[in-house]
Amino acid sequence: MVSTVLRRVSARAEPLLPIADDELILGWRNSEWTGIAPFLEEDVAFSSIAQNEIGHARAIYQLVAEELGTTADELAFDRKPEDYRCSPFVELRLVPDWAKTIARHCLYEDADQRRIQELIEADDPEVAGLAAKIDREEVYHRMHAQMWFERLEDEPQFQEALEELRPLVDQRGEHLPEFEHLWQEMTEVRRSVAGATW
Amino acid sequence: MSAREDEFLEYVQSGGQVETTDWMPDDYRAKLIKFIEMHGNSELMGVLPEREWILRAPTLQRKLALTAKVQDEVGHSQLIYRVVSDLGKPREHCLDDLISGKSKFHNVFHYPTKTWGDVGVIAWLVDAAAIISQKALLKCSYAPYARIMKKICWEESFHILHGRDVILTMMNGTDAQRELVQEALDRWWGPLMQFHGNPIPAEDDPMYIWRIKSQGNGEARQQFLDGYVPQIWELGLTVSDPKLRKNDDGVWEFSEPDWDELKHVVTGHGPKTEERLGLRRTTRGETEWVRRVVLPEAA
Repeated sequence: MVSTVLRRVSARAEPLLPIADDELILGWRNSEWTGIAPFLEEDVAFSSIAQNEIGHARAIYQLVAEELGTTADELAFDRKPEDYRCSPFVELRLVPDWAKTIARHCLYEDADQRRIQELIEADDPEVAGLAAKIDREEVYHRMHAQMWFERLEDEPQFQEALEELRPLVDQRGEHLPEFEHLWQEMTEVRRSVAGATW
Repeated sequence: MSAREDEFLEYVQSGGQVETTDWMPDDYRAKLIKFIEMHGNSELMGVLPEREWILRAPTLQRKLALTAKVQDEVGHSQLIYRVVSDLGKPREHCLDDLISGKSKFHNVFHYPTKTWGDVGVIAWLVDAAAIISQKALLKCSYAPYARIMKKICWEESFHILHGRDVILTMMNGTDAQRELVQEALDRWWGPLMQFHGNPIPAEDDPMYIWRIKSQGNGEARQQFLDGYVPQIWELGLTVSDPKLRKNDDGVWEFSEPDWDELKHVVTGHGPKTEERLGLRRTTRGETEWVRRVVLPEAA
């Protein structure tokens, strides 16, 4: 278990872990749409977005893991639920509500753009380089979110979803009750055979 | 059969290919739609047994690979339904017939996936069985279908590599992991042997007669056994069929697959048929409003 290590993360890891955790968990949530989205095209699109997000999480974990003497997989899977720093906003289980899913997608991409920009401007060249690389993919997520925003903006249920979710964007702290279930599922195989390689 | 139909039959049987705008007999068109639609349905239903494991994949690499694989399957169904649509049956009708149980999908997608071992066995062996059928479609008499099959076979070959790697890693792991693989193989062997269908002679198979397929079912099964049983044995796994052996003439001998089970399963009575179609019905219902908003014709 890497929990003990993580209680004292480095100054460099401090702002990065919440981002990686958000990307991992949102990637996880987005992949829940696989096979059941309103259009086959959206199955494919959300799957791409999920893969990018999980890829970003992995890249950030790798950077942090080198400092903490652990691995990206251990950071992603072997922490206790309370050690994850993702926001409740990304933990929400929204399938099969498309209005809320798109609302979160729009709000998240917007907030994510701001914090990635801060990293791009950071003094740490390795972090800035990685952030720039991540941002190149996020551009497409933002275009996808924007396209859906324009399609749904006149729909009352979409507006309601935006109103409901907007206050949660910057919330941090306590995990939602459903995070425990997500964690159980996410780590199920890994926990099933102790010390195994998969 | 009219003279024109005879001529058409002779044309496809001598290796000729047909384009969407060419004249074709009604029976040929109907057979094409039925066959290709079932393929599209299978790609789409094949997503469901694996999607649950995207969420449980035990490393980031596996999660990415499995997500990409499942994404490929949806992409295949998208391409395939496009071909069906050009033949005269729109995608939305295909999806309606799928969830109402009117149309069929492959037997292997009616079964549960119990462990991560199943995920490996599906990606390796189910996809291997499928690629054998799909490679035989590269010569399909309907050219648009044959063309998309090139892309599909290319992607499927990566799935097999992914599956083999999942299996290899587990076989090189702990006893508990090896057991997971063996148990999964035992569960899947029956459905795998049924996968290529009844051993009706190719010349009696309407799909072969029209050269929609270029090989018979029994031939495909032999190819599967020949390609994969040696690999299965080499990994230290056993196949739960005491009769399985390769004869001196190179032909594989095996216990008769359970054809009653196959029939029962593909007619909508598999262990997971109802649950999976139910999930598709529910989510299709819950996202109906999105299609109404976005597609003017659905309004």
